[in-house]
Amino acid sequence: MTSEAPLLETRAVEKEYAVGGETVHAVAGVSLTIARGEFVAIMGASGSGKSTFMNLIGALDTPTRGQLLLDGTDLASLTSDELAAIRNRKIGFVFQQFNLLARTSALDNVATPLIYAGLSAAERRARAARQLGAMGLGDRVDHTPAKLSGGQQQRVAIARALVTEPLMLLADEPTGALDTATSEEIMRLFGQLNDQGITVVLVTHEPDIAQYAARRILFRDGHVIEDAPVTDRRRAA
Amino acid sequence: MSLARSLRGAAVNVGIALTALRTNLMRSILTALGVMIGVLAVVLAVAVGSGAQVSVESTIAQLGSNMALVIPMPDTKNGGRTRDIGKLTERDARAIQRSVPGVTAIAPQLRSTIQLSIPGRRVSTGGLAVTEGYAQITNTEVDSGRLIAGADVQAAARVIVLGQTVAGKLFGDLDPVGQTVRVNRVPFRIIGLLSARGSSLGTDNDDVALVPFSTGRQRFTLSTAGADDLSILFVGFDPAVELGRAKQDLVRLLRARYNVGKGDVQPFTVRTTEEFQAQSATVTGVFQAVLVAIASISLLVGGIGIMNIMLVSVTERTREIGLRMALGARRRDIRNQFLVEAAVLCMIGGLLGLILAIIAARVFEKVADFPAPVSLGVAVGSILFSAIVGLLFGGYPAVRAGRLSPIEALRSE
Repeated sequence: MTSEAPLLETRAVEKEYAVGGETVHAVAGVSLTIARGEFVAIMGASGSGKSTFMNLIGALDTPTRGQLLLDGTDLASLTSDELAAIRNRKIGFVFQQFNLLARTSALDNVATPLIYAGLSAAERRARAARQLGAMGLGDRVDHTPAKLSGGQQQRVAIARALVTEPLMLLADEPTGALDTATSEEIMRLFGQLNDQGITVVLVTHEPDIAQYAARRILFRDGHVIEDAPVTDRRRAA
Repeated sequence: MSLARSLRGAAVNVGIALTALRTNLMRSILTALGVMIGVLAVVLAVAVGSGAQVSVESTIAQLGSNMALVIPMPDTKNGGRTRDIGKLTERDARAIQRSVPGVTAIAPQLRSTIQLSIPGRRVSTGGLAVTEGYAQITNTEVDSGRLIAGADVQAAARVIVLGQTVAGKLFGDLDPVGQTVRVNRVPFRIIGLLSARGSSLGTDNDDVALVPFSTGRQRFTLSTAGADDLSILFVGFDPAVELGRAKQDLVRLLRARYNVGKGDVQPFTVRTTEEFQAQSATVTGVFQAVLVAIASISLLVGGIGIMNIMLVSVTERTREIGLRMALGARRRDIRNQFLVEAAVLCMIGGLLGLILAIIAARVFEKVADFPAPVSLGVAVGSILFSAIVGLLFGGYPAVRAGRLSPIEALRSE
């Protein structure tokens, strides 16, 4: 039943902020659907509302108005603990600055979300090791972030995002801190993961990067102004 | 949720805490130092306080277990004005032995400062003129020679038993038994050397000399007026006798003998060992409470240091908090993480403070010759108490960490 429902559905979602006595409509009524297995790029300039929208679909924030259904559950109605559980189980975050814990091994970094899933230490380590192996980092499990290249760090972060087997990977400018070659390598990795059936939502302002996605959603002033398939798509080699 | 899961969470948090504390090692050490000093002060205060208790209790135990003291003086609750009417005589003592139930022995005493001299040396000490009952009631023993016997009392013999301090001053390490010493210029034969009784609260219980009661009557310069007045009377009771009741019997008898009416000032005071114990427990209890209260201030300062550093830590690690929240940490997971960090920091400080306190207490015992025991209960208690200080002062920073908005936290640099 839930598998029939779209992965994500927003219905007239709005988010307002009070900034210095003025109300800012960061997201001003967005209705869209993302199906399972899609590879979506959310684009827009700074201040377009794409980051706020990402926070909403990432269960980091709740909408002021409207409905936001993730896997059939309306996030607007959840408590902060329930939102934490959604973030833990259903969403895998990938950040621009990797956000790995310093002085902590790749293995422990990848295992961190499993702490909050309540798994035993042995289970955490086993699953984290497996995930790192799948990312081609099986020989780097004991390395701290300082001993890894930028690309390796981002792959550790992707392993961390995938280790809870989420419904959706949510990547916020994942190549923003990487050089061109490494960026392409990471984007090809996202493409491969998507080919394996993992839903990927990519937030970026770089058109080159967005070309790896299959669908492009363009934000401006809190509205979606374009939502179309990517015609000149770059595929994993 | 389940206990296993809570324990797992605690273990994870201890691991995170140790990593975080290692990251800022110098800062962690300095913060733990504050708690260490606090715990050191509190444990030492408790040790010295219970040392005072032990010391006083052992003094009381030396008095004998089931005993009452009758002292010729008016009850102080009616004012000390009529001290001169204080009265207690040998006849009172005999009447007590005859008619108060449960009396096993009596030991009347005369007390006076006496001068002891041997050629070339001269000391003054507390002279006690006692009967043969004294040793029995007060658990007094000798290291060598013997105690005052009934025959000595009957014969008003010029014999003397020296306490360790007096003997040491006059004869050094030599056994004084058999030697002669002049008591107020009159030669006495030394018949015994008392076993060491130690000191209690600064009073040397070995600076004493015993002579037969009758001898003291003849030779002591006494401040009392009558020919058969006593300085003090020890009354020993059968262990089965209830001391509160025995005291009532004693007081009733003496009041009748002195025709003390209702509301009149009694010319004597009766104190039982039980009362001494209760009294000293109160005094040492207050002493200890004051010491601990003062020492607690330093622990409070240590706790404020903890709160300060935890606030800094939360601010510095805002991004980490945001990340953990994005990965699924609930508010309480973040709060607990910082609570455990504060508790671990405090417990490390507490443990170091405890170790230092145990060392300091041993040194204090050696140097000041005063017991300062650190019991297992105090040791465990001080560690638990440090953890509580951590939870208390780490509480506010931890709650603040848990209340951070994940978005704001992730965005912070």
